[in-house]
Amino acid sequence: MSKIKKKRVGFVLDMTPLVDITFLLLTFFMFTAKFKSESENEEKYQIKRPRASVDTTKLPEQDLVIIKVGIDTANQDTAYHVSMLNEQDRIKLSQVMIQKDFPGIQPNQTAFITKDTVWLESLVQEARLINPRAQFAVDADRRIRFAWIEQAMNAMRKKRATTFNFVTDKKQ
Amino acid sequence: MAGGGEALGGGGKQKRGKAGKRKSKKRVGFRLDMTPLVDITFLLLTFFMLTTSMITPQTMEMNVPPDLEAPVEVRESELLTVRVRKDGKVFYNMGKDAPEPVTLKELHKVIVDQNVNLKNRCIVSLKADHEVAYGVFIEVLDEIHQCEPDIINGLKANGINERQRKFTVAPMDVKDSEEIAGL
Repeated sequence: MSKIKKKRVGFVLDMTPLVDITFLLLTFFMFTAKFKSESENEEKYQIKRPRASVDTTKLPEQDLVIIKVGIDTANQDTAYHVSMLNEQDRIKLSQVMIQKDFPGIQPNQTAFITKDTVWLESLVQEARLINPRAQFAVDADRRIRFAWIEQAMNAMRKKRATTFNFVTDKKQ
Repeated sequence: MAGGGEALGGGGKQKRGKAGKRKSKKRVGFRLDMTPLVDITFLLLTFFMLTTSMITPQTMEMNVPPDLEAPVEVRESELLTVRVRKDGKVFYNMGKDAPEPVTLKELHKVIVDQNVNLKNRCIVSLKADHEVAYGVFIEVLDEIHQCEPDIINGLKANGINERQRKFTVAPMDVKDSEEIAGL
């Protein structure tokens, strides 16, 4: 009597649930992922935001004027970087500032870099004229001197942008 | 990743012999190799998982008074001044009292107590030195914001249901910094 040899079949694992979950996660991450905008890509500085306790108010995704104050990674220099979030507003602001002879301006500039409060005021004013619904946000590095913030606040106060936001990170 | 690996070619082979005579082939359900699809899916999944940052910035709303010609007059006894010195130390004083150093936790208690005692008439004025780091300023500002729920509770306990918030950020002048310089 010869034994009938069982044919060895490699064990089978049902991959369907795994693939289901993978697709689910993939779609989730694909939809939540946000990529850096063009203007953020050009930045040569990184902002370490100040930490504040948990707040549910999020930064609006349109009709926003951001005044960024960062420390340049190369030469430790600080300046105001003013930009508008809406594409059309940005183009309009660029056109207006070309007429005003903004120093070092190039066509289709995404952010206006200045250290001068007079130019900052002028940018705030033009931004408000272009988009009256625009909100202002100050996104500054926590290591910079308070004088920078005070100047920005004064510029906005003078141009009647009396409500604005400080961009912060969650406190750990 | 062997999505449907062993199934590959499963339907293609036929037994030689009897089957050759038959005209009707045995129908095997059509099979698709899922391996490359799953490979790519995993690749994309890992990419998106690694690139997504879940921390989104939040905001802190500020209101500043418009640049008016006529200054608003306030009673000095109702003015609570909070000053932040160059080195980040915080001082407070009521009206014309001498400034006292406080920690942020103590400041919380002081602001809540004064607001409740003065029944909405207290005005908190925050002054920060130009050299103070912005991060420190935000910490103090955040602490003042955090007082609000406690103030509202305190006022309710005293039978006042309305909360009128009086808070301002004022510039720090030479006199201000001199007063707290040696403390």
